[in-house]
Amino acid sequence: MPMSLTKRIDDLSSRRDIRSGWFGIITLFFLAFIILPTVYVLIFGIMDFQNLSNMVLDDPEVMSLVWGAVFTSFSLALIVTIIDLIVGIPMAWIMVRKQFRGKKLLDTLIDMPLAFPTAALGFSIGIFWGLPVEAPVPPGALGIVASPYILIMLLHIIFTYPYMVRSLSAILEQIDQSYEEAGMTLGASRMTAARTITLPLFRAGLITGFILCFARSLSETGGTFIALITVGQADKFFTGPTLIAALKNDLVLGTTDVEAVLAVVSIILIITAIIFLLIIKFVLGRVGVPFDKVWPRWERVLSRGAVPKAKDVVSFVWLFAIVIIPSFFIFAYLLVPSPADMDWSGLLDALAYSFMVAGVVTLADIVLGVPLALYIARHKDKKLAQAVDSLVNIPLIVPTTALGFSLALFWTTQGLVTNLTFLVIMAHIAFTYPLVVRNVAGAVMEVDPSYEEAARTLGAKPFATFRTVLFPIVRSAVLAGAILAFTRSLGETGATVAVSPDANTVPVYIIGLMNTGDYYLAAVSAMVLIMVSFVFMFGLRYVIRREGGTY
Amino acid sequence: MTVVELKGLSKRYGKTIAADGMDLRVEEGEYICILGPTGAGKTTALKMIAGLIDPDSGKILFDGKDYTRVEPEAREAALLSQVYSLFPHLDVNGNVIYGPRIRGWEFQQAQDIVDNMLEMVHLNRRKDALPRELSGGMQQRTALARALASGSKVILLDEPLRALDARLRIELRREIRSLVKALGITAIHVTHDQEEAMVIADRVAVMRYGKVVQVGTPKEVFDTPVSPFVANFVGQSNFFKGRLVSNGDYTVVENDMGINVKARPCQLPVGSEVIVAIKVGNTQLRTEEGFFLGRVERILYEGVTIHIDVMANGKLFSAKLPNRKYEEFSPGDEVVVGWSPDEATVFPMPEQGLEEELRLE
Repeated sequence: MPMSLTKRIDDLSSRRDIRSGWFGIITLFFLAFIILPTVYVLIFGIMDFQNLSNMVLDDPEVMSLVWGAVFTSFSLALIVTIIDLIVGIPMAWIMVRKQFRGKKLLDTLIDMPLAFPTAALGFSIGIFWGLPVEAPVPPGALGIVASPYILIMLLHIIFTYPYMVRSLSAILEQIDQSYEEAGMTLGASRMTAARTITLPLFRAGLITGFILCFARSLSETGGTFIALITVGQADKFFTGPTLIAALKNDLVLGTTDVEAVLAVVSIILIITAIIFLLIIKFVLGRVGVPFDKVWPRWERVLSRGAVPKAKDVVSFVWLFAIVIIPSFFIFAYLLVPSPADMDWSGLLDALAYSFMVAGVVTLADIVLGVPLALYIARHKDKKLAQAVDSLVNIPLIVPTTALGFSLALFWTTQGLVTNLTFLVIMAHIAFTYPLVVRNVAGAVMEVDPSYEEAARTLGAKPFATFRTVLFPIVRSAVLAGAILAFTRSLGETGATVAVSPDANTVPVYIIGLMNTGDYYLAAVSAMVLIMVSFVFMFGLRYVIRREGGTY
Repeated sequence: MTVVELKGLSKRYGKTIAADGMDLRVEEGEYICILGPTGAGKTTALKMIAGLIDPDSGKILFDGKDYTRVEPEAREAALLSQVYSLFPHLDVNGNVIYGPRIRGWEFQQAQDIVDNMLEMVHLNRRKDALPRELSGGMQQRTALARALASGSKVILLDEPLRALDARLRIELRREIRSLVKALGITAIHVTHDQEEAMVIADRVAVMRYGKVVQVGTPKEVFDTPVSPFVANFVGQSNFFKGRLVSNGDYTVVENDMGINVKARPCQLPVGSEVIVAIKVGNTQLRTEEGFFLGRVERILYEGVTIHIDVMANGKLFSAKLPNRKYEEFSPGDEVVVGWSPDEATVFPMPEQGLEEELRLE
């Protein structure tokens, strides 16, 4: 039998120079094809400053539009995050500290918004709360929110909610209940104990939840844009990312140099996002909260009787009335009679394209992301690995529209590639890659290196060690990362639109349908997209559950 | 089967020195124990021999060949770690056959070796069990079988018995030694437990601050320690300071109370500051004919032995006596502390003082 491929790789992996070379290539790929394109627009801005300044910065009308949109984005993100925090803490408490029937179901419901592609979610919210201009309204819609700001706020609260509840409950689970019990035996009421003992301990969870919600709200495009189209505000009301989408769809500023405006918006979004998140991390990590003060009487009153019950009831009502029902409202379209001439071919094409993109993206993420994750997790003492570890987060906090625009600029101004599909794939890799790397690196860090060391001394070459020992142990994390990346790619709107509104993925197809007033088909497409995402999301939950039970 | 030599091996992590010019030669088929307190650099030394850590300088030789930069898988030196590191996704058989399989041995031959090995560690009936279904002792034996079945010529044992309870530890150390000896493998075993080292090893290498301070048979290391540290770490000792009065058939030392005592001969100059060490087990308590007069402070019944602390000349002396002497002493009794001169060792005064010399970390 000729030497098999794995055997050959095993042998190669045994050489130090080849190992260093391989990790070098992976790191280089990451820096050159993910980080650099993501922030390329900054370099472009510096080089082309004169032009941008003439075209955009000196034009007060354009600049007021830009600053208005950016300000809207930040104020929205802040308000949404604070609301999430207020409703998230009691819900996290319920999930971690209470045992009741149907807890599993509740657990699934909380994750539900993650399974919704935001494009579908935006549509659903627009018709449920808002006052649609042209779209047929299914029975049961409330139609009470006229302000686009409040509408978008309601939308963002939904898809950021799971991040907050999850981050908080993850930390809460780590905090032993015995601290609180000790506090109570020392005379603290339930609320005083929770507030003065447990709450300070989970500052880390608060920060993670805050950053995740804030970054997600700041960067969301598809849902926001579609909700605005539904209520006929897409050309009047903007967040930073939807301004990019609107510019790309030629909804505003017909005469000006659109590219220059796009560059300015992207630069401002990227820089402010990074600065703002650093500030949050810094401020929340240091600011003192007056945990020492106690108000025994009031807190005792609040710990008893109707108050805690009311708090739990409000948590549930919030979950259903604000999060679950509006999300699922789009399925009410099933009650609307369908127009006679349904053309499914467009949807099928878009689906096929989306699947192709997501498939290629996921494959690339795994092949190129797992080695980087290994490098980060197993070389924690190396400066380069630590730097890469922090850099991985950048595509997660950069708004995806800005990312898409920057990336397209990188590839096309260099005249390297103009192929649309290639650009879309590269953009999707950029924002899904961190998901895989984070997941896998996290899992590998949990694995004691002594397994691999034992395998090496028993005669296994490095790649054989990975194949036969490490991979089987972290397989679920790799799979989970893959499913996350796939679902995220399937549902992404912002980055795709920013690369080109002609890229025929399902979310972009839905926007197109809405722009031409084909609302019914748009609704059907959104429902199909939701169903597909659900299948993958349940797959993910199954994988994670199984992992929890194995070792 | 293999001679392992370490020559001037050094390794530092920032300011921490894990190995500081370590020298050691392990003979073919020898069972050697590296004994030292926590933080002496024992595990680092073992991992350098395994190839898992690169030394900053120095050489590692296997059978005279330079192996310093050879990859772990090519060294044929299997590591058995203190947490066993049994692969969680493989059963006992899968774990033990891992080495032969990864080295590409013919299947039947590999399985035969594994069966044989499992029989030797009494696990042939638990072949299909996953590691987490096994008791601590069984996990330990599986890890041992896995290391031995891999065809390695050297086995490296990193505190292999640490996680087990006392009784099992005693049983298993006997088993490990006889298995390794039966296969003729060179074994390097790291431990901080001096009793374990004494009973399991052909020779003991006492390590401290990244250096080997003494190598010898258990008897040599116990009876003729090279420093107060070794005297205290390998079997606890009583110490006192003094001045060397004369050398001859035995050495005479005058302590700080002006009392002359006798000890084993040494090469130190007359008049120099010295330390005298007597093993706790060699310290005798009599009614007359000793060196220091003292008073019994407390008596502990330890089972086979009793432990007695005596205050003499403002210093505490400990003695271990057979338990039948329990009735002969009670707190407050006046006793004379003594020893036979050839069981007392004289050391030059350590530069950094006695306290520092005896420190364990």
